[in-house]
Amino acid sequence: MREELLDASKKLVEKALSEGYDEAAALLQQRRTVMVKLANSEPSVIQRWRDLVLNLYLVKNRKILVISLSPKTLSEVEKTIKELIDVADKLYESPFYAPLPEPGEPVKLDLVDKKLLDKIEDPSEIVERMIETAHREKIDYVAGMVKLSYNEKALATSKDASFYEDSTSIQAYLRAFAGEDGSGQWSIGSRRLNLEKIEEMASIAARYAVDSRNRVSIEPGVYDIILSPMVAGNLLRLVGMMASAFMAFMGMSMFMNKKPGDKVGSEKLTLIDDAVNPELPGSTGFDDEGVATYSKPIIEKGVFKTMLHNSKTAAKMGVKSTGNAGWISPRPWNLVVEEGSYSLDELVGEVKKGILVTNNWYTRLQNYVEGVFSTITRDALFLIEDGRIVKPIEKIRIADTLPRLLSNIDALGRERYDIWWWEVEIPTRTPYILVRQIHTSKHTV
Amino acid sequence: MSLEDLVLYAVDYARELGASYAEARYHKNTSFSIVSRNGTIMGAGQELKEGIGIRVLVDGALGFSATNQLDNENVREAVEKAYRLAKAHARLMKKPIEFDDSRVGRARYSVVEKKPFTSMSLDEKINVHRELWDIVSRAPSEAKVPVFFLNYIESIEEKIVANSDGAFIVSRIPRLTVFYNLVVMSPQQGSIQRFEQLGASGGLENLEEWSLYETLDNDVKVYEKILYEAKEPPKQEVDVIVGSEVVGLVVHESCGHPSEADRILGREAAQAGMSFIKPGMLGERIGNENATVIDDPTIPGSYGFYLYDDEGVPARPRYLYRNGIIYEHLHNRWTAKIYGTHSNAASRAMDYASEPIIRMANTYFKPGDYSFEELLEDVKLGVYIKSYMEWNIDDTRWSQRYVGLEAYLVENGELKGFVRNPVLEVTTKAFYSKVDAVGKELRFYAGTCGKGEPAQGVPVWFGGPDLRLRKIRLGVAPK
Repeated sequence: MREELLDASKKLVEKALSEGYDEAAALLQQRRTVMVKLANSEPSVIQRWRDLVLNLYLVKNRKILVISLSPKTLSEVEKTIKELIDVADKLYESPFYAPLPEPGEPVKLDLVDKKLLDKIEDPSEIVERMIETAHREKIDYVAGMVKLSYNEKALATSKDASFYEDSTSIQAYLRAFAGEDGSGQWSIGSRRLNLEKIEEMASIAARYAVDSRNRVSIEPGVYDIILSPMVAGNLLRLVGMMASAFMAFMGMSMFMNKKPGDKVGSEKLTLIDDAVNPELPGSTGFDDEGVATYSKPIIEKGVFKTMLHNSKTAAKMGVKSTGNAGWISPRPWNLVVEEGSYSLDELVGEVKKGILVTNNWYTRLQNYVEGVFSTITRDALFLIEDGRIVKPIEKIRIADTLPRLLSNIDALGRERYDIWWWEVEIPTRTPYILVRQIHTSKHTV
Repeated sequence: MSLEDLVLYAVDYARELGASYAEARYHKNTSFSIVSRNGTIMGAGQELKEGIGIRVLVDGALGFSATNQLDNENVREAVEKAYRLAKAHARLMKKPIEFDDSRVGRARYSVVEKKPFTSMSLDEKINVHRELWDIVSRAPSEAKVPVFFLNYIESIEEKIVANSDGAFIVSRIPRLTVFYNLVVMSPQQGSIQRFEQLGASGGLENLEEWSLYETLDNDVKVYEKILYEAKEPPKQEVDVIVGSEVVGLVVHESCGHPSEADRILGREAAQAGMSFIKPGMLGERIGNENATVIDDPTIPGSYGFYLYDDEGVPARPRYLYRNGIIYEHLHNRWTAKIYGTHSNAASRAMDYASEPIIRMANTYFKPGDYSFEELLEDVKLGVYIKSYMEWNIDDTRWSQRYVGLEAYLVENGELKGFVRNPVLEVTTKAFYSKVDAVGKELRFYAGTCGKGEPAQGVPVWFGGPDLRLRKIRLGVAPK
C-alpha cells in the first residue's frame, strides 16, 4: 500500500491548498489487527480490524482545524475539506499557531517482523501457548489478551514532507488466578514476535498467582514500596504524559510550574522518551509534523531535562520541537527507565518494612498540578520485613503525591521488562523500583 | 447497495458460510468540537467514524470483524475473516458460546433536538467560550485562574443493527457534551483543580439547562474560599452527607459495574476485573432497605439513552439493588443464556470497530423523601461532600475511595465552613448499609464509562439524591 498511501496523502494536501487553506498535513493510517481476548482459559472473542483512518490538519489565517475521518472514499474527504473552509474562516487565530516545520530526514527504523506479520491471519497457536504455559503452574484459570498489528502510515505536509513507515507490533498480557485469593498479572509489548518472551510473561503471571494465595490483611501506613515494572509503568505513564508541554498549558501537569533544569526527583531516576528503539512498540522515525524523532531524557538523574514539544508548543516557549507531535498535543513514544544494579532479591533485601506491589489500576488524581493521586493495587502483593518477603497481603491503596514518589526513589533493578497493557498505554521498559516512605490507605469501614 | 441492504447482506452471507448466529451493525459517529484555553479558541475539530462491525458465532466461538470500507467486497471479506478466525479458535473453546432467545425488535427511532446544533451560529458558540472565561477569570478576588480549558462537542450517533434472529433497528441519537478543566491558584495556598463533564442527548437546549454562566461563577468563588479557608476533616467518626454527584459515582462504580454479568462471569477479568458478586448471589443482602439502585436506558434526554440495544433487544429499567438486595444483573444474550434468563438489553458498542458488550446506561440511587435541610438537621458533627476529583475502586468493586473537592463541615445541623480533601474510603456493603436517610431531589451527572478490550468509552449518566451515612471515619488526601 506504500505508494497508494503516499499518493493519497499528497493529493489531500494539494486539494486543501487549492481550496484556499494556507497549510495542510495529511496522516493516513491503514491498520490490520487481530486480537484474541481470553477469559476462563479460553477465547471469549476473536476480533479483527482492517481500516483506513485519515487525520487532517488544516490552517487558514492562523486558524487551526483538525479532522479525523474513517472515509468511505477520498472524494468524501475532499468534500469535507471544502465544507470546512467556511468554519475555518469564522474561527479565531489560535494562540498556539506556528507554521508547520520544515521536514527532517526521518530515522530509518526496521519495524516490521515478518514472523509476526504471518501470525495476524491466525494467532491461535500463540494463544494456545500462552494458556498452556500459564497452566504449568498450579493455577485455576487465566484471562488476558494478545493483539497483533500491522500498521502503515503515510504523512504529507505542505512543507513537502512525504514519509511512509510500516510496522508490526504485539501486545500480550495474562492474569492468572489460583485458589480463593491468588492472582498475578504480567504483560509484554514489542515490535517483534518472541515466543520465549511471551512464555516468560505467562509464567510470571502464573507464579505470582500461586505465590499470593492465602493473603492476610495489613494496616495502612507509611511503607517502603517496591513497584514492579507493571506498577512503575502505570505511574510513570502519568509523568510521561505530564511532560507534554500541551498538558502543562492545560493545567494537567505537575510540570506546569517547572522548567528544564529543575530538580523533580531522586538522582537515581532517569526517564527517557525512547522514540527510536526498534524493539518497543511506540517507536517511529518521524512525528505527525514530519520532524525526525530521537531519544531524549525527560528526567535525567532527577533533573527535569526535556519538556516534550511539537512545533506549536515549542514556538510558544521559544525552543525547538522535540519530535513528539501530535498536531495539538505532544506525547511520548516509548518510556524507558534507566536500570539500576540490583536484583529483585537485593531490592527486597534493602527493605526493613515494606510492600512489593506487582500490579495496580485505577490511578486518579485529585490535583494534576500538585500530583496528588491514589491508585489501588491488585493481584499479588507481598509484605516485606527485615529484607525478606514474609507473606502475601490483601489489597491496599498507594495514596501520595507524584513529586514525593519521584523524589523517594532509592534503588532500581538491573533487569528491565517491556510492559504494555490496558493500564500502561505508553509502552514502557522499566525495572523494579524501590521507593521509600510512601503513604498507603484502605477503607475505614 | 444501500447501507441497510449492506448490513442485511453481511448477516445473510455469514449465515451462508455456516455461522449459527450473525449480526451486522452499521455505525456512524460524527462530532464537531471547539476547544479553548482561557477564552481563546485553540482550534476546531471534526471527527467521522463510519463503518460496519460484524459478529458471528461459529462452532461455539465468537468472531468480530470491522471495516470502514463500505462496499460489497470489503464487507464480504470482513464477514469471511470473522468467520474464519472464529472457526480457527473454536478448538480452544471448552464451553461453546450460545445466545439466549430474547425477543428482538424491528424499529426506527431518533432523538429530536429541541434546539438543533444549527440554531446557533459558530460565532455564538465561540462567544460562549469567551464569555465563560470572562466570568471564570473575574470570579476570584485574590487567587488567579491560570487555566480554564473548555471543550465543546456536538455529536451524532447513527446505527443500523440487524441480526440473524430478525432484529432490525435504525436509530439516531444526537448529544451535546462539555468538558472543562479549571485550576484556581494562589502562590501561598497552592492550587485547587476541578474537572467536569456535562452531557445529555438532544441539542443545544441542554446548554440552557446547564446554566454554566451562573454555576461557574459561583463555583470558582467557592473554590477560592476552599483554597484559603478549608480545614482538615474531623478525625473522629462523623455523619457524612454524601452529595448527589458523589452518590452518582458510587452507584456507577459499586452497583452498576459489579452487576455486569459478563464481569461476574470473568470475561473482563484481565482488564477491569471481576465482581464481588458471584454467580448464585442474586437475592443476597448488600445494604439496608433504603438502598435501591436502578439503571434505565429509556430516560428521555439522558446521556446514556437508547430504546434497543446493539443485539436488538428492547430496553427497560433494571433494578440492580432493590431495598438492599442484589436483585438483577445487567445482561446481554450470552450471559442471559448462562443465567437461564433473558437479556435486559445492556449490550452496547462504542463505534463500528467495537464489539457490543454489557454496559450501564443511566444508573441512579432511588430518591427518598428528605429535603436537604432535613438530612442535615439532626447531624451534630458531620461533613457534607458535595463534589469530588479523585476516586478509585478495586477490581472486584468492593473497596472504594472518593476524595471530596467542595466539602463542608456540619455542626448542629448547619454548614460551617469548608473541609479540605476529605476522603470517604468504604466497602460497598458498608456504604449501602449505612444509608439512613435519602434525599428527594434526583440529579444526574454525565460520564464516559470505560470498559472492554480495546477500551470502549460510552456515554452514561449516573445520579441520585443526597444521602446521609452515619458514623464514618474520614481520611484526608496527602499534601
